[in-house]
Formats: sequence, structure tokens, C-alpha cells
Amino acid sequence: MKKVLFLAIAATFSVAALANAPAGSQAPGFTVTDLTGKPVNLADYKGKTVVLEWHNFGCPFVQKHYKSGNMQSLQKKYGNDVVWLAVNSTNKGSSDWQDPPVVTKELNGFGAAPAKYLVDEPGTIGRAYGAKTTPHMYIIDPSGKVVYNGAIDDKRSTDVADVKVAKNYVVAALDELKAGKPVSTASTTPYGCTIKYK
Amino acid sequence: MHLPRAFLATLLAAALPLFAAPVVKTEHVEAQLLPERTHAQPGKSVVVGLRLQMIPHWHTYWKNPGDSGLPTRIKWTLPAGWSAGAIQWPHPKNLPVGPLNNYGYEDEVVLLTELTVPADAKPGTVPIKASADWLVCKEICIPEKGELDLALKVDAAPPAESDRWKPSFERARAMLPVSDAALKADAGITGKNVVLRLALPSGLPAKVTFFPERDNVIEAAAPQRVARSGDALLIEMKLQDAVPKDLPVLKGVVVADGAWPGASDRRAMEVSAPVGSPIAMAGSSASGGGTGGSATGFTGGSATGSTDVGGSVATALLFALLGGLLLNLMPCVFPVLGIKVMGFVEHAHGDAKALRMQGIVFTVGVLVSFLVLAGLMLALRAGGTQLGWGFQLQSPAFVTLLAMLFFVLALNLAGVFEWGLFAQSMTSDVSAKGRNADAFLAGVLASVVATPCTAPFMGAAVGFTLAQPAAVSLAVFLALGAGMALPVLLLSFFPALLKKLPKPGAWMETFKQVMAFPLFATVAWLAWVLGAQSGNDGVFGLLLGLVAIAIGAWIYGRWAQSESALRPVFAVLFAALGVYVAWPDATASVTPGVTANKAGELPWQAWSPEKVAELTAAGKPVFVDYTAAWCVTCQVNKRVVLNSSSVVAAFAQRGIVPLKADWTNNDPRITQSLQELGRNAVPVYVLYLPGEAKPRLLPEVLTSSLVLAEIDKLPTDTKTAITQR
Repeated sequence: MKKVLFLAIAATFSVAALANAPAGSQAPGFTVTDLTGKPVNLADYKGKTVVLEWHNFGCPFVQKHYKSGNMQSLQKKYGNDVVWLAVNSTNKGSSDWQDPPVVTKELNGFGAAPAKYLVDEPGTIGRAYGAKTTPHMYIIDPSGKVVYNGAIDDKRSTDVADVKVAKNYVVAALDELKAGKPVSTASTTPYGCTIKYK
Repeated sequence: MHLPRAFLATLLAAALPLFAAPVVKTEHVEAQLLPERTHAQPGKSVVVGLRLQMIPHWHTYWKNPGDSGLPTRIKWTLPAGWSAGAIQWPHPKNLPVGPLNNYGYEDEVVLLTELTVPADAKPGTVPIKASADWLVCKEICIPEKGELDLALKVDAAPPAESDRWKPSFERARAMLPVSDAALKADAGITGKNVVLRLALPSGLPAKVTFFPERDNVIEAAAPQRVARSGDALLIEMKLQDAVPKDLPVLKGVVVADGAWPGASDRRAMEVSAPVGSPIAMAGSSASGGGTGGSATGFTGGSATGSTDVGGSVATALLFALLGGLLLNLMPCVFPVLGIKVMGFVEHAHGDAKALRMQGIVFTVGVLVSFLVLAGLMLALRAGGTQLGWGFQLQSPAFVTLLAMLFFVLALNLAGVFEWGLFAQSMTSDVSAKGRNADAFLAGVLASVVATPCTAPFMGAAVGFTLAQPAAVSLAVFLALGAGMALPVLLLSFFPALLKKLPKPGAWMETFKQVMAFPLFATVAWLAWVLGAQSGNDGVFGLLLGLVAIAIGAWIYGRWAQSESALRPVFAVLFAALGVYVAWPDATASVTPGVTANKAGELPWQAWSPEKVAELTAAGKPVFVDYTAAWCVTCQVNKRVVLNSSSVVAAFAQRGIVPLKADWTNNDPRITQSLQELGRNAVPVYVLYLPGEAKPRLLPEVLTSSLVLAEIDKLPTDTKTAITQR
């Protein structure tokens, strides 16, 4: 009997291993420290549009969007209207792990401009949102609802040249939000590298 | 000796272009183009393979890469008149990465492409060029590419198989999915799952894994459950949240663990299943059941292959039934049952049929309430609100209402007043209708107050339902209700049991009055819950309100014989005043957190996911108590077990950090964390031990010996022991 009980617990446990924040759901709250060690709470940005960008410089898909200047220009272009949060859920044991000073240097080198860069080493936020890849983009509207969950654009590749010809879903969604319209493409399948969860 | 060897080498060098192009070597992959036959024939087709040899533990991807990754692409540059078909993909395998899953290939893969040769192709040698790019990953991913070429001979004579690469092509062909018109496949969606049904006259393998062609249909990492239902094989898979609204067909490849019966060595079949009406998943007892997605990324039951047993609906229903039975013994249900059983005693010597009827109506009352609660929870869950079982007690208004209800019931039992109708129902000449209404209400009341008492077994059952379609959730809740109603139902059907109970008499009035005290105690507990939610002022308001209600009840009872119209007016006036005074101020709330720790108790700290992460990273053992003021089981465990001297001493000795996650008021972070543990009710006790990736879950009902046994495995932390002294 005891065994069956434990199996049942194990089973329920396994099903809930990666939660999810689909478009239309309430964005899971979090408190986490940024690169400088300061705490960042999602609740602080209530009433604002928040973009979450899952990030890892070791990933060629992320490099595609930084080497082309795409991600930085979005961060700057929307910087006044939205709170752009880069999230790194890479675990310390992974070869992709970089210490905060190294990340800071790389960010500066690329001229990146996220409002905050969150160090989610235990993967808590990543798991709460169900983030799968780098990049994986989420847009949270001022009411705290997830209005976009998915890929940065529709060209699943590591080719820098594809950035120009791709349809950027995040741009489309942010522009629709700004115009007071509902987001027409609210979820897509993210593409990129697997997040190196703990 | 020299001459023949040089001659042989020259011969070989001359022959090589016939068989293979030069190898392109990248850091992780060796790539080359292989012809399947010795030469191409004008007007026919020839198959060319792109062979990718990955270094150990690195992989490339299938056409649907799963949660991440990129499929390999080939761009052909062919002589005029030639054309190339699409890549024929060998079936993939699961490549789990943490909580995610990919579909792809390790070691070697040969991607086949059919080239069409024009009828006027001249004999000779033609250049075949391919520009291929692939993403090769292990922990990290590297996009690589290769410019490949192959000098292909063209000859009018029928070609032979190219011996050199025969094994590679045979392996690649064996891995190609075949399509069989005799394979009948359909699919149905139930809630968050899709069930794929397969039937083939020549038989089906015992276990299969489904790989979807499209990337946004099923959760790649969720375990697939396989069961046999008659001649058909059912595969249950979790749908993605972002699954398109209309899914007309479920397309993909099913891969058997062994070979398909009647398909020689082929292991993979193409499937195109129209999505129709929902298909019920067969129970786990069916033979051939097993974890379909054998390579899931989860740390849960997959390693032991136990998901099939534990996750089955039948098991959940059994646990729910047991949980429901045990609910009867919980302090919050017991008083209500007391009232009900007393009613039975009264009627025991009366009409057996009426008694049965009451038992059934009580059961219906319980079942209906559980359905309503479950429906409400499902509706709210669908609306995105994070909720858990017992959620209604997170509302101060609900707690206040419940306290007032119990208080009035207690006053009634104590004899302060008699109900008009209710009083009649206690006499023998009451209509069956009145008694039945009473039984129904008792059922409803028992259910409402039962919810915060998470009995053992119930946690797993309710946790299970969260990940299930609505129909299954409702079934589990019904089983829970059935378990709770069972003892009363049995009593009503076997009055022989009741005959063992004493005959009614004057003692009954005493018994009735005694039953008032557990209810008063419940009111005291609810007041304490409210205190945790709304603070001191809230409790004061409630108590004052109760006094006003008591005055109303007293007026109603004291002048029961009076014909005056003022009696009900005053009674109602005071009752209304009571409700007004007691009603909680919505704005007043106390931040639930850590109450001051008393000496001799565990040094509780407030829980947060960051705190757990920080402490476990520092190699500290952590104990988390998910609790709430309104959870009786939690309080019992805390007082009897967790704050017992032996446990406190053992915690100190081993340096275990006790964290308290207080769910008295709704806290989405705690709800979230509970969900990750597969629970949605408190209590939950979790032990994080250094060196163990998975936290240990302790049962809901704790004993000191159980806790001590669990932490006994830890070495004594001498440093901490000294500082504790």
C-alpha cells in the first residue's frame, strides 16, 4: 500500500515538473536578484508591460539575434514603453554558465540594453513559466496577464541573414498592445537551444 | 612487394569516387554523401544518403526537433535536368534534457534523398553537390555546415548495390517509417490530453512511442501512457497549452520497442489520425501498459517505469475513496456527523425505509457539494486563478460566515432555541420531506467543512486531478465524496448496526447539548483562523457579532410561545446586527508570515523559493512546512510532532533549517510551489537533503518516529549543535 502511495506521489510529482504560463494566464510572480545582486520583483512592474527574454550567450540562436543587432535594437526601441527583463536560467554546472561580471562585459560589448538581467540559476522562474529555449519570449500586459508566449520570430535558424526577412512576433505583439489592440498571434513554438536547467 | 602495393593503392584511389565523396570533417561531425548503387541509370532514380557521424553523446535533430534544436537541411546543386526529393527521415529517438525533451539521432544517421535522373543523361561521371547545415548539440549547440560533393557515375546498364555502404543504407532503410493502409488510426482530445488509437489486423506491438510531425501539438517531455483496449493500442499524451484550436489530424510516426508484427524489421509506422470524439483511456490494469515515452526528462517515476501504476485513474479513485473515508475522522467533520448520527438514533426504531432514504439523501448531499466545489475549482482554474483545495477558507468572509453558522447550530444544540421546522423534524410525526431536506443539508454542511482537512491519501489524489481532464477531476472528487458518505450510508442501510446503539430517551437531550461543545470549539478555531487573516480587530468584531446573534437566538427561543409579532422582528434585528458587526473588513489583513518563535519550538523562518535555493546551494538540509492557519491537520502535526522536544533537538543537531510556507492567505508563489510538488492542498512536508537532487515528500500525517527516521540518515552537524547550546 505504502509503495503504491509513493508511486502515486512520484507520478503526480513528475507531471508538474515544468509548469507553464500559456498566453491568457496570469503571469507567475517572482523575486530574484539581477546581475548586480539587487532583488527584482515582478510585482514592482504592475501596471507596465513586461517582456521576458530567456537568454544564454553560449547559444548560437541567441548569438544570431545579438550579432545581427536585432535584440539590442528591440530593447532600445521599446525601452521607454516596456520593462525588458532578460532571464538566464542556466545552471552553474553547465558549460554555458557565465559569472555575472563576464555576462555584464558581454552585454556591454553587444550594446545590449535590457532594463534588468535576472540570474535565475536555480531555474525557478524558468520552470514557473515553462520556458524551454533560448531565446523564449513572454510578454506580460499591464494587468499581469501573459499576452504572448513563444518564439522571437518565424525563422527557426541560427543564420544571421534570416533576421532581416523574418516576421518578428514580439514586435507585432508590442505594436498591437501599444495600439490598444488584442495580440493576434499570442502563442508560437519557441525555437533555440535547450535551457540548461539545474 | 613494392610494386603490387602501389598498384593496388592506385586502383583503390581510382575506384573511390564511385563509392563515396570526400569526407567533410567538422569539430563534432563527419559528413559525406553516399550513393546507394554503383551508378545512376538515365530515366530512373537513384538514392543518395547524407551520412552524419556524430562524436559520442552529441546529437542532431529529426524533422521536428522537439522542445529545441533545428532539423538538418540540405541544398542540392545538381546537373541540368536532375531533381532532388525531400529528405526521408529515419525515425528519431527521445533525447531528454532536464525537464525538456528533443527528438533526434546520436552516433550515426543517414538521411536519404531520392534524385531523379533525366532520360537523356549522358553516360559518364556527373558532379552532385550538396550544401548541408545541421545543428549538433550535447549540452551546448553548435551550428555547423558542410559543402559536400559526390562524383556519380551514369551508365545505361542496370546498377548494382554499392557493397561498401550496404550496411549503412540497410540501417537507414530499416529506420524509415512505413505507411500501411491497413493501420487504422484515430485520435480524440479530452481536456489537456490527446489519445491516439491504433489498430492493425496483423497485430500491434506491446509498446510504442509517438513522435509528432508538428512541433506545437504535444508536450515533448510529458510521459506517454500506453494501454491496450481490446485489439487497439491507446497512447495518451499531454497536449501543449498553445495547441491550435482546430487540430483536424494528428500526424507523426509511431515507433515500436521491438518490431511491428508482419513488418519484418521495420520499427516505425507513419500515422495520420483524424481527430474525432474523445477516446477513453483504458485503465492501467490493461496488459501491455507501460510508459510510452520511455525517455522522459522527468525525475519522477520514469526511472522506475512507475508512472503507469501511479498516474492511473483507477488508483487515484481508490485513494480518493480512502481519503474520503478518513475525512470522517477529521475534527472538522466529526461534529456535523454527530448531529446526523443523532438523528439516526432517533429514527432507528422507526421506519427502515425512511432511514434508508435519509442515508441516500445525505449521500446525494455530499456528492452534489463535492461536485459543486470541484466544478467551481475547475472553472476558476480554467480562468487562470491559482487555487488549491481548501481555498474557500482563504476568504475571511467565508470563515466569518462559517463561524456564525456553527455558532447558531451550537446554540440550537445547547437548547437556547428550537428551529421552527427543524424542531418538528426531530419529532416522529414529521413528514419524510422535512427529514430528507435535513439530511441533504447535513451532507452539504459536512462537505463544506471537510475541505480544509486534507486527510492522508487525499493529497496525491487531488494533485493527480489537477493534471487531468475535467471529467477525471470530477470523478476523483465524486469518489472522495462517496468515501465520506459511506459510513452514514451503511448505517442507514443496515439498521441492525443501529440497534446496537442505545434506545432514545432523556439521555438524548443531554447528548444533544454535549454535541454543542465540539461546535463551539470549531467556532473558536475559526475565530483563530480569522485572527491570522484579519488580525485582532477581526476576531473582536466576530465575537461581538456572535454575541448579538446569541441575543437574537435567545429572544427567539425565550418567547417561543408568544404570539407577538415583535418576537421574530427582534430576533432578526439582532441577528442582522450580529452579521453586520462580525463582517470582516476586506481591507484589513495581516501579512501571514512567521509568528514569533517560542522557546523550545523550531526556529521557523519564512519560506521563499529563493531561500530554499540559497540554503540548498550552501549544502544545508532544509525542511519546508507548507501550512495554513485553517488547516487542522497542519496544526496537529505542528503541535504534536514538529514542536516536540525530540524533533526540535534532532533538527538542531543536524543543522536542518525549518522554513514555513504559510498559505493562510492566498499566496501564488506557494500555490505554484505546491503545484510543482504535485500538490494543491496543505499540509505538505518537504525535506531537501544535500546531495539529493529530489526533495523528499513526507506523509501528511506525521509521527515523531517517522520524522526522526527520515532525518536520521543525515550526519550530525557538530558546528550547529554547539551554536544551538
